[in-house]
Amino acid sequence: MDILVQLIINGILLGSMYAIISVGLTLIFGIVRVVNFAHGELLMVGMYATYLLGAHLGLHPYVAAVPVTVLLFTIGALIQRFVIQPLLGAEEHIQIFATVGLSIALINLALMVFGADLYSLQVPSVHTSLRFGGYSMLVGQAVMLVCAIALVGGLHIFMQTTPLGRAVRATAQNRNAALLMGVPVERIYVFAFGLGAACVGLASALIMPLIPVTPSIGSYFVLTAFVVVVLGGMRSLYGAFLGAMIIGLVDSLSGYYIAPDLKEVVYFAIFIAILIFKPTGLFGLGRGTE
Amino acid sequence: MDASVIATASPSPRKPGLAARLAHPRFYCAVLGLALLLAIPLAINSPFLTHVAVTICVFAALASAWNIMGGYAGQLSLGHAVFYGIGGYGTALLIQHFGISPWIGMWPAAALAALVGAAIGYPCFRLRGPFFSLATIAFLEVTRLLAIHFDWITGGSAGLIVPLNPGWAWMIFYDKTNYLYIAFGLLIFALLVSWWIRGARLGYALTAVREREDAALAAGINNTGVKLRAVMISAGLTAVIGGFHAMYLTFLEPATMFSLPTSIEIAMYALIGGLGTVAGPLFGALLVVPLAEAARVWLGASANGLHGFVYGTALVVITLTMPAGLVGTFGKRVSGWIDRLPGGGKVAPALAPPPVRKLEGTPGETMLEGRDLVRRFGGLVATNNVSITLKRGEILGVIGPNGAGKTTLFNQLSGFLAPSSGTVKVRGPDGQLVEPRAPDEFARLGVGRTFQIVQPFGKLTVLENIMIGAFMRHHDVAEARAVALRTAKLVGLEDVVEVEARNLPIGGLKRLEVARTLATEPSILLLDEVMAGQSQADTQRMVQLIRTIRDSGVSIIAIEHNMHAIMSISDRIVVVDSGRVIAEGEPRKVVQERAVIEAYLGEDFVDAQGV
Repeated sequence: MDILVQLIINGILLGSMYAIISVGLTLIFGIVRVVNFAHGELLMVGMYATYLLGAHLGLHPYVAAVPVTVLLFTIGALIQRFVIQPLLGAEEHIQIFATVGLSIALINLALMVFGADLYSLQVPSVHTSLRFGGYSMLVGQAVMLVCAIALVGGLHIFMQTTPLGRAVRATAQNRNAALLMGVPVERIYVFAFGLGAACVGLASALIMPLIPVTPSIGSYFVLTAFVVVVLGGMRSLYGAFLGAMIIGLVDSLSGYYIAPDLKEVVYFAIFIAILIFKPTGLFGLGRGTE
Repeated sequence: MDASVIATASPSPRKPGLAARLAHPRFYCAVLGLALLLAIPLAINSPFLTHVAVTICVFAALASAWNIMGGYAGQLSLGHAVFYGIGGYGTALLIQHFGISPWIGMWPAAALAALVGAAIGYPCFRLRGPFFSLATIAFLEVTRLLAIHFDWITGGSAGLIVPLNPGWAWMIFYDKTNYLYIAFGLLIFALLVSWWIRGARLGYALTAVREREDAALAAGINNTGVKLRAVMISAGLTAVIGGFHAMYLTFLEPATMFSLPTSIEIAMYALIGGLGTVAGPLFGALLVVPLAEAARVWLGASANGLHGFVYGTALVVITLTMPAGLVGTFGKRVSGWIDRLPGGGKVAPALAPPPVRKLEGTPGETMLEGRDLVRRFGGLVATNNVSITLKRGEILGVIGPNGAGKTTLFNQLSGFLAPSSGTVKVRGPDGQLVEPRAPDEFARLGVGRTFQIVQPFGKLTVLENIMIGAFMRHHDVAEARAVALRTAKLVGLEDVVEVEARNLPIGGLKRLEVARTLATEPSILLLDEVMAGQSQADTQRMVQLIRTIRDSGVSIIAIEHNMHAIMSISDRIVVVDSGRVIAEGEPRKVVQERAVIEAYLGEDFVDAQGV
């Protein structure tokens, strides 16, 4: 019983990490309607940036989160402006290849610059254990959970109450109608891609003290993020959040009860099943994948 | 219309003799070019150059195989290494456990890969673009993880060494030149398969399905069926090449045999060369493989990641600047030059088209019958208990205001929508009334339909568009071409047969819609507003055409808003309003009915007229 509770706690904490990463992917897909295969590499870039700021300037990763988020926003906006924007009218396979190419280029750029070694950031304050009633979690994990909830809540308030948020929602729902109402759709796209990337920036600063960075760290996370986003119905922030929690739990429980090396098989199987049988996502929150 | 478009795109030769085919510059240029790929490394005989040539052959062959699914069928797989790995492991394990030579063992491995391909493809075909790709990636990841987990079969992460018995019988050589012969042979095999599909009925069907699923169904193509065939051929071919590559690498591990980067690389060569073209994958590999291999050797470990960075950047640049790939961008110009070489440009005389299908039966018998058709969309009842009967040899006009449910009725009569309740029966070629299910089944039984919103295959020429229809009853390409030409003449498109369909004006597209349907030689023709958007002269021509078609024995239902035209051609009129049939009968009588005038012009008008 104790083990089960601890596993569930671990699952929720893991889920909050997936949630922060997946929220950015959901934003980009929901608004720009582009599946960003290079999303994981944005995380990788953010993690290296956090590492550099920490190792060379001595910034605490939670402080570094601010410049890293700004950096990632800028990178995201540039990608949208110079790679995605020219391809918006192109056929879908061209968009897929463009972001896949971007992903390969970034992974190998990191390999050239940093090599294949692991870089980790030792931050004792983040690694402090919190204990309550026999269960434990790290400070860093607790911060992640709080940030995930705050991020989803904050984005919700932003989307629902601000004029910019309204313009973003209008663009997401009907690009042409928004254009006719005077919404600068292309600039909204640049902003949205930047915002999605900024979420990843936040995620990378939070993850860096917990997990070492390698050039291929993104590919590991991005597939999970896709699973989460599809599970959540592709365009819904809440869907992504819930999907992330489910994958976190599946990961934690199947790693213990089935086999550690098969936990990914379990959630990829869930992923394939959802894609095929319930393309609107587990909760029917999205318009689906068809 | 751009005259140069018409002039440069000369029709390719039809059914020339073997000698004529061999003498064609496209053929001898291809042979010469391919021979160089073998001759240069043999002449120079450096192990490195041989290795590069083998790698080019393997990846060009893999990309050609991928292209059948990713290019022709438009199903963008990013998990093709599944089939490559199955081929490799299958072949190696058959040697290890059963002592079966790889020459034999690669075939059962290919069969297994084809089955796996069908099992993955069948449920995933309804996924759109990036989601299909994601699903294939997920299958790849699962396969790789399972291959690591079940290490008692695969050797797990530690890997598997192919039993090293040198000699041709076991496909293991110390001299790499022998590998080159086999790799070259495989490349030729893959190119031949790819080339054959491109020019065959299957190739046209795949293009049709990729471009417009609905129009393909209306031409009697079983969408899922042709995609499955493409996937199975593609997977099987990939596995054969994987089997050979395993013998070349002699060491297999899940991380390299089921690798995502390899899957992407394969797809990348096809994209860079030109998706959906025969030569594209080869050119893509020819361009990129030597660069990457050279970078690997010259810069060595100091440039870890450089070749990948070049790959990725090249991919982004290609998508931004040359999305059609090398062949798509330069292909027309180059093949134009080649055709000017001796022996080129000859056009064989057109084949005489086979006689038109004879339509026989008792005049006046029921050809198509919709009974009590109800179709709901959520709370909206689009057709409410509509019953309609088409008799042999008549033209039945369907009129009604916008939103009356005419097109919904058509969609049910042609199988594109299943009625919520009610039945549709069709008189098949054997004279029996049957109840088909799928739209392609309707089409094959002889129900031809046009779409109100035209559905051309934009990138195909007008003639090829019509051929897609003709393929339904004529499996031979030359025969289908002849039928398509005859149909083009019938509808007045003979001057633009070599124009890409997307360049036609709307009037031409409407006629193309009719032509593609007529080429299926239907016994029942459903025309959905074919006169809309036509000029006065074109409308006259269309009226004439519809009469000609009827006189050839086809029974016709036409939805039309052009009252004058529909009144003059129809034998009977059915008036639909708000999902119900409100009047039916002779044209002259129907238009005088109060309900009909009310539906069109409103109650007030009727009262004012005192009808």
